[in-house]
Amino acid sequence: MIVNRPSIMIYTDHPDKDLLKEICAGIEEEGVLFQIVSGNGDVDELAHQAAAESMLGSGIGITGQQAAMQMSPLPKGHNVFELIQPTLRQCRDLGANSARAVKKMPFRSLAGGSQ
Amino acid sequence: MKLIAGVDIGNSTTEVCIGEIRENGSFRFVSGASRMTTGTKGTLPNVFGIKQALLDALGAVNLPLSALSLVRLNEAAPVIGDTAMETITETIITESSMIGHDPSTPAGAGEAVGELIFLENLWRGKPGVPYIVAVDSRFSYEEAASRLNQFIPELDIKGLILQADEAVLVENRLSIRIPIVDEVRHIRQIPEGKMAAIEVALPGTSIRMLSNPYGIATLLGLNAEETRMVTPIAKSLIGNRSAVVIRTPHGNIQENVLPAGEITFHGDTDRTVNIDAGADRIMEERSAAGEIRDIEGQNNTNVGNMFKRIRTGMADVAGDGGEEIRITDILAVDTLAPVTIPGALAGETCMEKAVGIAAMVRTRHLPMQKIAERLEEELHVKAVVAGVEAVMASLGAMTTPGTRLPLAILDMGGGSTDAAVLEADGTVRTTHQAGAGELVTMLIRTELGLESRQTAEQIKKYPMGKVESLFHMRLENGAMRFFEESIDPRYFGRVVLLAPGEMLRIEEDITMEKIMDVRRDAKRKVFVRNAIRALTAVAPDHDLRKIPNVVLVGGSAEDFEIPEMLTQALSEYRIVCGRGNIRGTEGPRNAVATGLLLSYLGAGKDR
Repeated sequence: MIVNRPSIMIYTDHPDKDLLKEICAGIEEEGVLFQIVSGNGDVDELAHQAAAESMLGSGIGITGQQAAMQMSPLPKGHNVFELIQPTLRQCRDLGANSARAVKKMPFRSLAGGSQ
Repeated sequence: MKLIAGVDIGNSTTEVCIGEIRENGSFRFVSGASRMTTGTKGTLPNVFGIKQALLDALGAVNLPLSALSLVRLNEAAPVIGDTAMETITETIITESSMIGHDPSTPAGAGEAVGELIFLENLWRGKPGVPYIVAVDSRFSYEEAASRLNQFIPELDIKGLILQADEAVLVENRLSIRIPIVDEVRHIRQIPEGKMAAIEVALPGTSIRMLSNPYGIATLLGLNAEETRMVTPIAKSLIGNRSAVVIRTPHGNIQENVLPAGEITFHGDTDRTVNIDAGADRIMEERSAAGEIRDIEGQNNTNVGNMFKRIRTGMADVAGDGGEEIRITDILAVDTLAPVTIPGALAGETCMEKAVGIAAMVRTRHLPMQKIAERLEEELHVKAVVAGVEAVMASLGAMTTPGTRLPLAILDMGGGSTDAAVLEADGTVRTTHQAGAGELVTMLIRTELGLESRQTAEQIKKYPMGKVESLFHMRLENGAMRFFEESIDPRYFGRVVLLAPGEMLRIEEDITMEKIMDVRRDAKRKVFVRNAIRALTAVAPDHDLRKIPNVVLVGGSAEDFEIPEMLTQALSEYRIVCGRGNIRGTEGPRNAVATGLLLSYLGAGKDR
């Protein structure tokens, strides 16, 4: 990945690999670039930093089985979406939503998501 | 000092106006209020709403009910309106033969033709045969891509149809560039071995080949007869960003024109018109028939059933039974309705031609006297039925600053559009026409394919905006509106209606431009047409130009764009037309209630 490209930032701290992969797939399907950076902190901290760092103002934080999506300039802790032990489907949709935030498209519902 | 109240019971709201007469005979308006009408207009349950409205109005000036010395009710116009819609064309695809939809992210671009084959059967494929591969969602994008890459060197793979929303993911992992359509729900219904044509439009455009009958003929090698058969498919694919057309040699794709039937007007002359001819012809025949006694639809046809439904519905409302229900006016409008195509693979809909009809029934006189008696019992205040609605409305409208006689009013409500002309010598001509707010709501609902009638009603009433970020929205007129606090993410990227004090989200995925077009078009089709029709009926010598000014009153006159539309349309006839401003303060509401008080004064002090 080339730095300085307009991309969605994903800040990770020992993330669940499968969940991370689904998040990335969600962003890729929507045709937006992303960049994975390892950091440390809780999920609120990671997501907030990611959004602040992203040129597009959209970021995701993931640690273990917790993921959150943030948009700048929302304050830390005010996550747009938050998932704890999500399904793969929910992660795909979380990734898609971070891209949809950039594309100004309506979010998908993350509720229930079984599959 | 004497307090009197004017009460106007409308289809949807009950309005009251309270005035005070001093000992010296001078008169002053004290208060007004409006409430939802309880029950059907002109029936006893109305009493409850009237009482509430009176309490509201009196409460505002801290007076008890007992302070009233007289309540004057209007003689409500004895008309009830209803609406119905019927599609007159229908596209039937008996064998699944097309996929046409707008997945948000198809991949690749261009068109391709090939034989359909499922991914799991690809090993049976023969070199040299062009293939379109269908992929079930149980294959992940990585699995699908790697399998395809394995076969690409030997087989001629032209295009892909995916069940999952993974077109871009698969494309990014393929060694060749081909058009890919995704989000095809019923992928298992794809007939393997048949020829298919697939097209993905370039970004920013819609498909060109498959929305053109000759394009389909070119790709699939059809003869003239077969081309004629695929025309409905091409028609229903217009505007899509991706599509698949599958050739099933016995696929019976047809556009059935249902026996739409004929409408017969029994009037000064009897006229019959086929509903196929469209709304304009129907309305021409309607006016050619003159004064209408009754309107009928041909038995066992769509329109026949439609009129039967209206009649039954009206019979329920009109209540007192035994009496024959006669439809005395209709307003027909052409419309399009999205109808799900039976057998389509991704839940596609097709815009079918339809006719929306508002009908009006003239009932016997409404039992207003009974309402007055009941009111007297409950309030211990004298109540009388006084004056015809249209006359009272004209009198009330006269209080709008800047008007003069002869004056025409256009009362646009929910069920009917009423017009009246008040001449300088005091004569009044009135008319009631079918078609008003309810019909507009129905048109909006069908054309946008909305689940709920309430959403359509709200679209009609409120302007829109699109939430573009968590801190701002773009309004339909292009202006931006910013927020201090972040907007709830549920609204992000959505079209919302700006109702007073809240935002209403539209669930359906329809663009703001489309909603605006449909909304304005529906209002224009119903209100502009009906305004001209109604005013012509009451104008001196039926010449619109002889009406100098028109005052708009009633619920629809409060709409944020209808009055402007009418002002524009009527300026062609050099008519001054605008939203009324009753007593210079009330806006278009309260005309009848105000008129009831004024007529009391005009009638002299002897009462």
